[in-house]
Amino acid sequence: MIDPPRVELWAILPVLILFGGALVSLLGAAFARRSEQAPFALFTLAAIAAAAASALWLWDREPTTVLQGMASVDRLAVVGTLVLCGIGAYGTYLGFHYFERDEHRRNELYALLLFALGGMALLVAAADLIVVFLAVEVLSLALYVLTALTFRRGPTEAAMKYFLLGAFASAFLLYGVAMSYGAAGTTSIQGLARALVGTTGNQALALVGALLLVVGLGFKLSLVPFHMWTPDVYQGAPSPVTAFMSAATKVAVFVAMMRVLFVAFGPLQWDLAPAVAVLSAVSMVIGSVLAIAQRDVKRMLAYSSVSQAGFTLAAFVSPNRAGIAAALFYLIAYSAAVIGAFGVVMLISGGIQEQTGFDRFRGLARRRPVLAGLLTIFLLSLAGIPPTAGFAAKVLVFGAAVNAGYWPLVLIGALATVVGAFFYLRVVAMMTMQEPQGDDISDASPLPQLVLAVPAVSVVVLGIVPGVIVPLLQEAGVLTW
Amino acid sequence: MDAMPWLTLVIVVPLVGLPVLALWRPITDDAARWVGMAATLTTFVVSIGMLAAFETGQAGLQMVSKHAWVESVGLSWFVGVDGFSIWLVVVTTFMFPIAIAASWKVEHQVRRFMAMSLFLESVIIGAFLSLDLLLFFLFFEALLFPTYYIIGVWGSKRRIYAATKFLLYTMFGSAFLLVGIIYLSVQAGNQLGSITFDLTVLERLQLSAGQGRWLFLAFFIGFAVKVPVWPLHTWLPDAHTEAPTMGSVVLAAILLKTGPYGMLRFNLDLFPEASRYFGDSIMVLAVIGIIYGAIVAMMQTDIKRLIAYSSVSHMGLIVLGIFAFSAESMDGAVIQMVNHGLSTGMLFLVFGMLYERTHTREIAELGGIVQVTPWLAGAYVVAMLSSIGLPGLNNFVGEFLVLLGTFSIDRALASIAIVGVILSAVYMLWSYQRAFQGPLEPRWSSLRDLSWREGALVAPIVVAMLWIGLHPAPVLERLRPTAEQVVVRLDRFGPAGIGVEASDTTGEAP
Amino acid sequence: MIDLIGLVIAIPLVAAGVNMLAGKRWSRGAGQGAGWFATGAMAASFVVALGALLQLLSLPATERTQVVTVAEWIRAGATSVSLDLRVDPLSITMALVVTGVGSLIHLYAIGYMEHDARPWRFFGYMNLFCAFMLALVLANDFLLLYLGWEGVGLCSYLLIGFWSDRPKAARAAKKAFITTRVGDVLLMLGLFVMFMHFGSFEFDTVLGREGSLPEIATGTATAISLLLLGGAVGKSAQLPLHVWLPDAMAGPTPVSALIHAATMVTAGVYLVVRSHTLFEISEVALTAVAIVGLSGALYGGLASIGQYDMKRALAYSTMSQLGFMFLAAGLGFYPIAISLLVAHAFYKALLFLASGNVMHGLHDEIDVRRLGGLRADMPWTAALFAAGALSLSGLPPFSGFFTKDAILEVASHDGVVWAYVLGSLGALISAWYIARLFFQAFMGRRRYEGHAHEASSTMRAPLVVLAAGGLFAGIVLAFTPEGRLATFLEPVLGPIEEGHAGPSTAVLIAISVAVIFAGIAIAWRLYRPANEDRWISFPEREPGMSGALGRAFYVDDLYGWVVGTVGLRGAAALTRFDRTVIDGAVNGVGRLATWASGLAPVWQSGKARRYALSFLGGGAALLLYAVVRI
Repeated sequence: MIDPPRVELWAILPVLILFGGALVSLLGAAFARRSEQAPFALFTLAAIAAAAASALWLWDREPTTVLQGMASVDRLAVVGTLVLCGIGAYGTYLGFHYFERDEHRRNELYALLLFALGGMALLVAAADLIVVFLAVEVLSLALYVLTALTFRRGPTEAAMKYFLLGAFASAFLLYGVAMSYGAAGTTSIQGLARALVGTTGNQALALVGALLLVVGLGFKLSLVPFHMWTPDVYQGAPSPVTAFMSAATKVAVFVAMMRVLFVAFGPLQWDLAPAVAVLSAVSMVIGSVLAIAQRDVKRMLAYSSVSQAGFTLAAFVSPNRAGIAAALFYLIAYSAAVIGAFGVVMLISGGIQEQTGFDRFRGLARRRPVLAGLLTIFLLSLAGIPPTAGFAAKVLVFGAAVNAGYWPLVLIGALATVVGAFFYLRVVAMMTMQEPQGDDISDASPLPQLVLAVPAVSVVVLGIVPGVIVPLLQEAGVLTW
Repeated sequence: MDAMPWLTLVIVVPLVGLPVLALWRPITDDAARWVGMAATLTTFVVSIGMLAAFETGQAGLQMVSKHAWVESVGLSWFVGVDGFSIWLVVVTTFMFPIAIAASWKVEHQVRRFMAMSLFLESVIIGAFLSLDLLLFFLFFEALLFPTYYIIGVWGSKRRIYAATKFLLYTMFGSAFLLVGIIYLSVQAGNQLGSITFDLTVLERLQLSAGQGRWLFLAFFIGFAVKVPVWPLHTWLPDAHTEAPTMGSVVLAAILLKTGPYGMLRFNLDLFPEASRYFGDSIMVLAVIGIIYGAIVAMMQTDIKRLIAYSSVSHMGLIVLGIFAFSAESMDGAVIQMVNHGLSTGMLFLVFGMLYERTHTREIAELGGIVQVTPWLAGAYVVAMLSSIGLPGLNNFVGEFLVLLGTFSIDRALASIAIVGVILSAVYMLWSYQRAFQGPLEPRWSSLRDLSWREGALVAPIVVAMLWIGLHPAPVLERLRPTAEQVVVRLDRFGPAGIGVEASDTTGEAP
Repeated sequence: MIDLIGLVIAIPLVAAGVNMLAGKRWSRGAGQGAGWFATGAMAASFVVALGALLQLLSLPATERTQVVTVAEWIRAGATSVSLDLRVDPLSITMALVVTGVGSLIHLYAIGYMEHDARPWRFFGYMNLFCAFMLALVLANDFLLLYLGWEGVGLCSYLLIGFWSDRPKAARAAKKAFITTRVGDVLLMLGLFVMFMHFGSFEFDTVLGREGSLPEIATGTATAISLLLLGGAVGKSAQLPLHVWLPDAMAGPTPVSALIHAATMVTAGVYLVVRSHTLFEISEVALTAVAIVGLSGALYGGLASIGQYDMKRALAYSTMSQLGFMFLAAGLGFYPIAISLLVAHAFYKALLFLASGNVMHGLHDEIDVRRLGGLRADMPWTAALFAAGALSLSGLPPFSGFFTKDAILEVASHDGVVWAYVLGSLGALISAWYIARLFFQAFMGRRRYEGHAHEASSTMRAPLVVLAAGGLFAGIVLAFTPEGRLATFLEPVLGPIEEGHAGPSTAVLIAISVAVIFAGIAIAWRLYRPANEDRWISFPEREPGMSGALGRAFYVDDLYGWVVGTVGLRGAAALTRFDRTVIDGAVNGVGRLATWASGLAPVWQSGKARRYALSFLGGGAALLLYAVVRI
């Protein structure tokens, strides 16, 4: 008498809510008249809120895996989901504001956002490489479409490249999964760990698999040398989409990476760490250096996001709570800053007009002191200058890396920070120290400025008292084997 | 421990004005200026309170207060004061109101200017007082942006270049510093089980000679850029020259001191063996800086650049005093930090007043103005004489002690360094002759002399200079015990002392 | 009175402050309030010093060294210096010279500066100078002495450059300060060595009490003494640091009289004499002093012959006279050195002020080639100048004789033949140049336009006093039984050991008189009115010997070339190095990064193909790593 498989759907409630919401708003978009987008936005926000609430509800559950070890219930997943929901909410609002200016609405935006979020939420909870693969595919497809949402030539071309290379990456990912299966006879993350600790696993094959997975995920994280799509896509995509994907994708994929590197292939840590360190180093340096030459803020931020990914990755050389907590903190600080930054850029560049050249930013402090101030805070945080979250984040990550004995990596990182300071603060200099040029097309409506003040404040607060969340993150850093 | 949390107060008080300036948009410019003035003056008063609470003759740290801040990271609010920092704090709080008043004529974005100044003062004082390495680094880095902003927004023509250069160069230095600090804290984690940045704990770590020396270098680079030690000095002339008067004064008088202060507080304390090991080479660098700075200063055509290079020379003397490891030279170095602050600060201040009138920094364009502005010239002369170390004025005390102490350690170096005393007279008097004396340039014939307000700004500095110059005892006796303690400790690590060190109780491995 | 000795310094100091801050008020219009105020201050200070002297005389000779503590100055490490003043025969003598001659010169300056725009400033500086000078001579330790030492240097700088609108004056002021600073630095090094050996700067510790020699190795003593001598050479304008003194004449004449003749420049002599115990330990140092002195005496004298600018001529003469003082000190005749110092203060001040009268009367005309025949227009001045000349030349019974020639006499008696011979040569030259000056300026036909008006009474009275001093101080100091300077100074400087070698005193006197007349004769032969056409036509730069004399043997030109050309070229080169190499490296890094960043588009061309390629490359690299790792 075999008892039927238990289906503990409650455990993936956030994912279900998000996907459900996505379907509903998709139908809505199909049938409703294209005029009004406010209801869609509100509905999306509601769905996201619900997902967040359900995630919170899972906080105190005993860590376990459900659905035949497909999804895991633990605090890492919860934290990941919550952060993602935050980002999603901002993406929604920014998108709403963005397309308000446009004559013909794009209400499918919301459905796509929710699909992407759902995929991400699934990814942070994935307990099996198959699920990781599926989740990545889901969120990627949504993002491809989002990139091309305005049907302009540039964005469409960018989306096309993104899609092609994405497929490429998926191949690596899938191959990695296969290798891992060959190595350990299972694709379950914890299963892999047990197999590799024991004698049943084929270490060599596993290493190859792990590295293939790193390649696949590294593409999504736009690590060097898998980053080349990033500038085109970030620049081409509508600003709110860029804001959303630059933050959310990194959070989701990095969380998955934690599970993959620290749990599944934890036993191989000593073989993997050097590779990770190298990836991190080249990303930090090349990302920062390439950003210098950019004359378009969105493109510059794209390259900066490459180096930021490198910084986050630096925490992955230390496979312990400290490392995970550091990485999570870095991700949160980064998301807040980058969402804010792209949000402000969106307002300055005249929304749908997407005029993100440097000239738009000269002398901005005179015309739009508030916007300039907000952007300054976000850029300072990205540059890692105290008293902002970026500084605390870098200290945490560097601490974790040094703790694992990788102080040369940290030195490289610290020097890359100097390069970073150059191009981040150059924008500040343009805004505050130069004279305005051309006519002002920036969007001065107060509400978005108010909304964007929230991440600004949180960046500063986290900078002064990082202690308010670090303990939580450290709890989230406890992974079950 | 004092009932009154003086140190925390003196760090926080300047910030009180900040919300007003930041949030209250409709504030008038004058109101903003007065807010800045009030805040800095209050800070000065508080710092005097701190000075009064300071126990003379104590070598160790005083008014220490420690509160865990971010346990998870190991960061703590850990402040304390001793002979090294006490006067630096006082001179900071002393110079800021003056600098603010000197910037009264700033018309552009007054609110931001005052806000930045107040923030800057707070973080500088914080850097001087914090005993937690991470906390120190936090302040040390936090003072970059306001300085960058002040230079970049209110500076003169090449201001953005200068500001960026300053920022990047200093960040380059502190990159090494940061790595060093983190490495130390991790060592603490391994040895004591918990990550900490507490200086008093870290100084008891067991470091191998190799570790100690590498860490020393990491810290040293971080501070050497700020000093600046030759050949890391080229950011200074640009920053000084392009900065507005406020920036130049604060930069010269106070910011540079975070460098030598860091060496005193951290390098010597954490890595005594390495300090001895590298001491001689650093002394050589310092002496090169003294002569080199003076010679290059001589050839400058821009008075602010000239003063900047003179700073390179004088700061070299301070570093020399620190790494000569003799009681006198150490005393001299510490008091010289205060003196250089006063005299160079005043040079920039007075020249700033002149610049407001002439809008030129070129020596060649000036000339003969002493005839129309005798008092302004007089003020400049006083600052100049102080800076060339005339006895009876503050700088002489420091120079004399440093050179005396150094001479007892290394006659050759001291004899070379003393040439700087001659050269300083050369470049200062020569520039004065060309800029202030000689026939009057007709276009300056209607130049205004010092106003009462400006005179009132200069007077307190002059009084301080004379006071230190004629009766330095009160200053010296507060900093001497600390200096002597450090010297005594370092002596055990001296060339003779290393052998002894193996069986030493404080546990640094030789 | 001795306990009040602080007042001697305090009065001029305060007066200086008051004058500089408030003097403007009472100096408006014709009344030179500032001048009278400053003069009064100096007089008061003089009275106090006089009182101190009287009290000192009332004490037995052995107790005539009194130390008065005023306050604590520096205490750091082991260094501890309390502000003490020392009253002993030597210091009080110096103090009296400074205050006495000082007051007279102040009085004179009232008239001299009557047309100046800022007399209060001038008198402020003058008082300040006297305060520092008094601190220098009354100090009881080398640190306070050094304070005064630099202080007088500063005032000299301020006063030389007082007419700062004249480029010449400004340049001269800077030159004076920097040149003497070289000496000051040597002095400072001397203090360091001193401190390393004695751990103190106190006279009693360093120099030993009551003539007892300090215990110190000869080598160290030599080092300290030579370094001190270096300082002295700078201040007293001896070879090779003398170049600033002639240029310093660009300052107002009272300044030249007070600072660059009577007082500051003698500080070097005072320093050597004061620390004679150290010098005595090392034969080398003492000899060095003598040699410096002798060479200075001859060089200065010869250079003086070549000058047409009266004040420059007098400046070189000062250098030569100081040379004699050093010679005396070097031979160990300290009391004679001091008495020459005193006498010289009188007659050299007199000579300067007299030429000041000439300048005042002829709107700053000072070139003897455009003077002449001043006897008629300025009888007083002519007479006074003559008096000064007589005293300087050293004819008996004038003070020059009892001082300068005393050196030669004692030298001969002690059998120091080289000193005697060369010294006599110096005496000859002195007589020569001073007589020449008188002939050229005051005799013959007038070579100037207009009427040279005789100086006012306030400008004559002090000169009369100085003249009296210059002429008769010698006799008084040498013969009045109690007041005999040598005996008075004995407790500090010890007795003069006078030997019995060489010819008898009478013969020596005869010889020296002959020598002096010879000098005067030469002067008369060359410059008598009859053949003035021979020299008035001389150009500024002339070939041959007289050219060399005029340019003082081109020493200054040499320095000018070394500093002005070689030095500046080097400095410029270093500055270029700083900009191009050191700063170039910094900016180079920045440019490198920007360049590297600019390379991005080369690969990042937007072609998806290339993206995939680099993607593959990365993947391959990682797999390679895996293979290597396995």
